[in-house]
Amino acid sequence: MTDTPDSPVIPWRHHVALTVLLGCALLMAARATDLTMNHREFLQQEGDARMLRVMEIPASRGTLRDRHGALLAVSTPVKSVWAQPAELAAARDRWPELGRELGVTLEHIRDRVAGAREREFVYLRRHVEPGVAARVAALEIPGVAMEREYRRFYPAGEVAAHVVGFTDVDGVGREGMELALDERLQGRAGSKRVIRDRLGRTVENVESVRVPVPGEDVHLSIDLRIQYLAYRALKAAKQRYRAAGGSVVVLDVTSGEVLAMVNQPFYNPNKGSDRVGARVRNRAVTDLFEPGSTIKPFTVLAGLISGEFKPRSTIDTSPGLLRVGRYTVRDHRDYGVIDLQTVMAKSSNVGASRIALTVAPETLWRVYDGLGFGLSSASGFPGEADGILTDYMRWGDIHRVTLSYGYGLSVSALQLARAYAVLGADGVLPPVTFERSAGDGGGRQVVDGRYVRQVRAMMESVLDEGGTGGRGRVPGYRVAGKTGTVKKSVVGGYAEDRYMALFAGMAPASAPRIVVLAVMDEPRSEDYYGGQVAAPLFAKVMGGALRTLGVAPDDLAPASRQFIANLEPPAHGAP
Amino acid sequence: MSEVQAVRLEQLRGRAPAAAPWLDTWLLGAALLLMALGLLMVASSSVALAERQTGMPLYFFYRQLAYVAVGLTVGAVALAVPLKVWRQTSGFLLLGGIAVLGLVLIPGIGREVNGSMRWIDLGLFNLQPSEIVKVLMWLYVAGYLVRRSDELRVALSGFLKPMVLTVVIAVLLLLEPDYGAAAVLFTTVLGMLFLGGVPLSRFLVWLFVAAGLLVGGALYAPYRIQRLTAFLDPWSDPFNSGFQLTQALIAVGRGEWLGVGLGGGVQKLFYLPEAHTDFLFAVMGEELGLAGMLLVIVLFGFMVWRAFAIAARAGARGEPYGAYLAYGIGLGVGLQAVINIGVNLGVLPTKGLTLPLMSYGGSSMVANCLAIALLLRVDLELRRQERQP
Repeated sequence: MTDTPDSPVIPWRHHVALTVLLGCALLMAARATDLTMNHREFLQQEGDARMLRVMEIPASRGTLRDRHGALLAVSTPVKSVWAQPAELAAARDRWPELGRELGVTLEHIRDRVAGAREREFVYLRRHVEPGVAARVAALEIPGVAMEREYRRFYPAGEVAAHVVGFTDVDGVGREGMELALDERLQGRAGSKRVIRDRLGRTVENVESVRVPVPGEDVHLSIDLRIQYLAYRALKAAKQRYRAAGGSVVVLDVTSGEVLAMVNQPFYNPNKGSDRVGARVRNRAVTDLFEPGSTIKPFTVLAGLISGEFKPRSTIDTSPGLLRVGRYTVRDHRDYGVIDLQTVMAKSSNVGASRIALTVAPETLWRVYDGLGFGLSSASGFPGEADGILTDYMRWGDIHRVTLSYGYGLSVSALQLARAYAVLGADGVLPPVTFERSAGDGGGRQVVDGRYVRQVRAMMESVLDEGGTGGRGRVPGYRVAGKTGTVKKSVVGGYAEDRYMALFAGMAPASAPRIVVLAVMDEPRSEDYYGGQVAAPLFAKVMGGALRTLGVAPDDLAPASRQFIANLEPPAHGAP
Repeated sequence: MSEVQAVRLEQLRGRAPAAAPWLDTWLLGAALLLMALGLLMVASSSVALAERQTGMPLYFFYRQLAYVAVGLTVGAVALAVPLKVWRQTSGFLLLGGIAVLGLVLIPGIGREVNGSMRWIDLGLFNLQPSEIVKVLMWLYVAGYLVRRSDELRVALSGFLKPMVLTVVIAVLLLLEPDYGAAAVLFTTVLGMLFLGGVPLSRFLVWLFVAAGLLVGGALYAPYRIQRLTAFLDPWSDPFNSGFQLTQALIAVGRGEWLGVGLGGGVQKLFYLPEAHTDFLFAVMGEELGLAGMLLVIVLFGFMVWRAFAIAARAGARGEPYGAYLAYGIGLGVGLQAVINIGVNLGVLPTKGLTLPLMSYGGSSMVANCLAIALLLRVDLELRRQERQP
């Protein structure tokens, strides 16, 4: 020891203490270096596991527009409020103000938080207005955050609801064209990696994992002007005739595009509470009914095709009823010996039955089948019904007879309208579509145009004086059409007091552009015949649609019109 | 060559003039650099927390700025006070300090934070007496070592007296509880006694006794056992007992060589608790990288070395009080820095200790400024002596 009495400092102790302290410092430096060099990857991995999250970048859903570009469905950005359950549970004192701003009860918050303790994410309320979102954000409650989402808005509302359909809260198509076109409208969501702070807020975008692909914008075949017209006319008719429901279908004869399709009852797709139950159904596509007398043009067509009947052929319908086995076919009264045109104009069941009994079952079946009965139109509309047309091999006489005036088979409104389009397009079966198509094309000749034109000429007489469909007339245009009044089938037979009133027709008859089918379901007014209830609705929609489309009138001198059924109408090519 | 010419020559050579500094500018520079770095890190690490708690992102920064101002003022005043005065009043000062330390424990006066009664609410700020008492203890023990130099080297009583006093203060600290402060105080006093010449055999025996007491104290309170085991393997329970430490280590790992950049750290965003106080070093590791951490370690090491050098000079000049005080300050500040950094790097159990001169906190800042000022005062008196041969 070199302790000197005059110096209190003992050198070796000085050195030991200093060495220990500086040694510790050196140790710390070594540890820091070791952590940085050798444990970096592990530590960063652990850090990433705690902070890095892959976040979805929602792809904006494509818009739906009508054929002229009017918006039918559009996605608008909105905010959704979500929470980290554990964080929010800890901030219980903030719940009342949160509930107040969000417009939810404390029970709602408690349920959401309690139900998801183990999770990191739970929605508190989705699709809130921007103002609400801003106020909630300003509260800065621990564990509460916003997420950008899209909300679907339907500017045309109930007018186009059944065709357009709607999406659910997650932006997935649930009904109508929103469902049919879902994949194309969806696009593809992208994703990015982000750093989040411990409160779940995104601090930094690290990298893009996948670039979002926005959804496709689709033009529907709908013409919103005609759609609106049909919607209003149907609504008014339903009220006037106190009907349970109804449909109107407007088809482009050659392209097969659905120009308008409305149903009653309707719903508002912008109101979640309204989007439930039967009113959501697009009845014109999903519901089947027996077409009744509206089938008669096709029965006559089959007669002509069979060669057994000529336009000038006559049929004896006396005495106004026809017994087939134990079954009796009745007319309203005894029409006597009448030609085919009168069978159509008077809608004679006996006349139609006689044709059906004369024509080979296979021929009748081929006509019906060729017109697309019993098979979906392949429009791609969700839930489209096939319809029912049984095989002719199994037809008995009674079945042949009832088929001739529209019982024993069932069709959808869309199918029936398409079959009428064949009559308008000189025998070409158009492909039905809800999307705007580039041109006319893809149609298939299913019937000889010659016979079709003959039938169409006969159908004009339906609207003449003495015909059943006089109320379906449209001033300035020649119309070919057919009425139908169908007893609705109920369990065990047919109801005596529940009817469906139908009117289907096309115009201008000289060169048809559009087909309109009007259906009134269970009218409870005194009038219930197709010619009384459905024909005026038809006329209103048809007239409006023709003017909207700017179709040139072909009947400038109505008084002079004298049409002779056995003469062919002026020949024209497919429009 | 006249003195003026010599100064000129030194200046031409690019060195500081030998006669110019009347205090240790290197020591002062190191301390000021640490304080500036600390201010920067307090600002960066507390922005998110301050924004959330007060709505003012720089709330903690401004407060720390005020503490620094107070600390510098206190330091300047202390620098002007002769050592003799400190030596003569150290007994009274310590008595007062112990009294205040007792006050903390009285409910209604002491303020409880996170389960510890360490603070007295003075309105504008909270006083943490333990920080001040540490410095007062060094002042007192240095005086004791001078007064009882012979007794200390010969008799057991000379060793026991300061130890009893230390135990009393340590018990007061443990009652708060402030385990870290007790450990630093105890170890520093032991170190001072060691340097003061306590016989080695006696010293070693008592070192074991002290170690036993500390371990016993740790075993007595279960939450300390949890903390102890947590630090040994934080990854076994990374989301509970090991949470703070794993976040600190992740911060260090993310920093790499040069850091993610000032303000760019993520751990301070509510992942790492106490980011601006006890775990400031880890946040700095993330933002300034290994380079920043090594700089701080080197600066503290430099200060310790400087303190020891001053102590040795004081001893050689026959200023035993200054020598022991410099030792105490070097040991105390150095130990606390080592322990805090060790906690941040996961080699020591987590305890509530601040990083001297850097961590957020008024009492700590003022106490450490006082300590550095005292060290400078020792050096300053030596320089005066050296200039008047």
